[in-house]
Amino acid sequence: MELREILKKIVLLGDGGVGKTSLIARYVVNKFDDKYIATIGTKVSKKDIQVVKPNLIVNLRMMIWDILGQKEYSKIRTSSLSGAQGVILVADLSRPETVNNLQSFWLKEVQQVVGKVPTVMVGNKTDMVDKGSMAATILESTGQKLGIPTLLSSAKTGENVEEMFLTLGDILVADVVAAQPRAKEKAPQTLAEVVDFIIQDFCAQYGDLEKAMLIVQHQFEDAGVDIRRPSKEAVLQALDGLAKAEELSLTKSVARVNLEERQRMVILSKG
Amino acid sequence: MEQDIRIETLIIMSVAIFAVLAVVAFVVPFEDQETKLFFIAVVAALTGINVVGLFMVWRSSPTIVDEVFLMTPTGMLLKHYTRRLRPDQDEDILAGMLTAVQNFIRDSFDEAGGRLNEIRFENYDILISHGKSIVIAAIISTKKPERLRDQLKTATADLEAEFGDRIAKWTGDKKDLGDVDVIMKRFLSGKYRR
Ligand SMILES: Nc1nc2c(ncn2[C@@H]2O[C@H](COP(=O)(O)OP(=O)(O)O)[C@@H](O)[C@H]2O)c(=O)[nH]1
Ligand SMILES: [Mg+2]
Repeated sequence: MELREILKKIVLLGDGGVGKTSLIARYVVNKFDDKYIATIGTKVSKKDIQVVKPNLIVNLRMMIWDILGQKEYSKIRTSSLSGAQGVILVADLSRPETVNNLQSFWLKEVQQVVGKVPTVMVGNKTDMVDKGSMAATILESTGQKLGIPTLLSSAKTGENVEEMFLTLGDILVADVVAAQPRAKEKAPQTLAEVVDFIIQDFCAQYGDLEKAMLIVQHQFEDAGVDIRRPSKEAVLQALDGLAKAEELSLTKSVARVNLEERQRMVILSKG
Repeated sequence: MEQDIRIETLIIMSVAIFAVLAVVAFVVPFEDQETKLFFIAVVAALTGINVVGLFMVWRSSPTIVDEVFLMTPTGMLLKHYTRRLRPDQDEDILAGMLTAVQNFIRDSFDEAGGRLNEIRFENYDILISHGKSIVIAAIISTKKPERLRDQLKTATADLEAEFGDRIAKWTGDKKDLGDVDVIMKRFLSGKYRR
């Protein structure tokens, strides 16, 4: 399992009042006082997410830039947009012109300043407008035409708020994931070798080596694993115990991915 | 040696000593004019040595750099070094906002695209130095920021020369950053020289 730390700058754009600030406030815990932000015209927030793939965990830190103001203040907006590696374009479904502006104005601006970057288009305020409305339909067909994922959201109910950031996050780490060599289908190893590998892997991911070894010892004893001549059943049982420990020390999803991979190795081993 | 003694204090002390000795020179009844002049010359020389000595001591005490942010010009924090613990402060957000403030100032007041290079508060200074692909901001709480300005420039130029291209192309993967610590830690010590 490899761990990567990725930092990306993402910017929310769209007409005034469509709900950009509200969506970010829904998604992140804010620490900065908004009083100062009004003067500067820009607010920076951050959110860490974890993208888990077989053999790879990506800790993605998204720096989320919210730019105040209308279309007219182009200078400050361009400065803040500079260096953006991902963009969320937001429209208000109750105001169809804000949907049209996504392609005719905002997307153009993004391309002028930072070129082609991962983008998601969002129709906000679904709590007020029917999802089958004209505005929503136009938004979705625009997205399809341009090959940009679209989501319908509400900052008020929280619907699809997390999803829009996760969707963008997935695109942002796609190149890292693609560059990652797939787990090689190695020649079947003996069960003893597999057990050895699992113990090392567990300790490496746990961090605290001494504590990790104690957990391994404890789980292996509980499951009745004989280290010199292990049986597959006993090892599989011990893996469940290790996964429980990892749920606490890592995260649930990481623990599950690890468990599945280790189970596969044990089952495929010669032993 | 106190870290935040001002050079002004030292000069005032020296002048005071000189004044006392000078008064003594006039008050004491000397036998002849030559002895008096000689005494005054000795007083002047001693005071001079005193001033120079104090100045050397002041110069050699390091300026304390409290915090350093190594950033991209677009506001992304690459590395952060600190001597203080500020648990409710998020350095990533601070780097972003610091950049946003700079953008705001530049876009509002400077048509020619100049750069904000210092923010001064009552008790500390933020010095900012801009390279092509890196920006360094240093927070300094001693009263001698002027001495660090050159060091900051030099460190920025050195980092730019060594890591500029790599950082300009950086996609955000921490493992591609390169070992900037050597230069940054030397700067943090307050004695950065080529
Ligand atoms: N009903 C409803 N109102 C919303 C929603 N999102 C934002 N608003 C309201 O729309 C107004 C503008 O929101 P704001 O986040 O400031 O928009 P911004 O200019 O794009 O940042 C505010 O009064 C919000 O309360 C939503 O999903 N549903
Ligand atoms: Mg707003």
